[in-house]
Amino acid sequence: MNSNEQVTHDIVIKRIIDAPVEIVWKMWTEPEHVMAWWGPQFYTSPTCRIDLRVGGSYRFCMRAPADQGGQDSYTAGVYQRIVPFELLEFTQQLADADGNPLPEADLPPGFPTSQLHTITFAPRRDMTELTIVEHAWPMSHMIVFSFAGMHQSLDKLSDILDAR
Amino acid sequence: MNTLTFAALAEPNRLRIIELLRDGPASVGELAERLPLRQPQTSKHLKTLAEAGLVAVRPVAQHRVFELRPEPFEQLDRWLAQYRPTWDERLDSMERYLGELRNKPNNSKNRQP
Repeated sequence: MNSNEQVTHDIVIKRIIDAPVEIVWKMWTEPEHVMAWWGPQFYTSPTCRIDLRVGGSYRFCMRAPADQGGQDSYTAGVYQRIVPFELLEFTQQLADADGNPLPEADLPPGFPTSQLHTITFAPRRDMTELTIVEHAWPMSHMIVFSFAGMHQSLDKLSDILDAR
Repeated sequence: MNTLTFAALAEPNRLRIIELLRDGPASVGELAERLPLRQPQTSKHLKTLAEAGLVAVRPVAQHRVFELRPEPFEQLDRWLAQYRPTWDERLDSMERYLGELRNKPNNSKNRQP
């Protein structure tokens, strides 16, 4: 490999969600539901647009709490693959209010301008194993994420299943 | 400062040095042995990493030992988190919402939202 070639790594996040795949699928594909959970705690999501077909676009919005400035940030992209209740693949970019990608100069150095995401939904009894893959993070970012101790695997499968 | 730190991390040999130092402190000689580099080149990379605050030097007996400084990584991670909220937080929100749907008084447990 050429040493100048950008080395990248995928981030994989897994979590068991206590709801059947039909419902978890809706959480991702219906604006009414996306607006109820998109963003961290205390953020709101005032708008959401979804055109659920291959080549269709989406634009999610999250609004910071008032005491943190209250600004809106947008995430947008285009659906690449759709297998109902099984798989959702889309590009994702930080965007402006119209869904256009933010210019590279507004992003941290090396931050991917557009990134492929693959979400898979697998039934586990009456729950759903959700797997999120963020493709092609530059290694310089990966090392920061991993060193800061965040983004560990979130697989809580055995705990939850054992508790039932 | 953030730009400097990322520039320091963007070079593959320096990334490799960071990975090696995650296993514990090491001298220039020990690092050079495990890299496709000579000692002077390794020193140069370590200097860049030290200038960016990612690595600190500590004398141990006759040697100088290099070790990682966690603070800049934590700072960078917090900075990046503004651009990228963790899935942890988003999925926590999803679970809270699903819980609310389930607990609505006139809904049966398996009601579809």
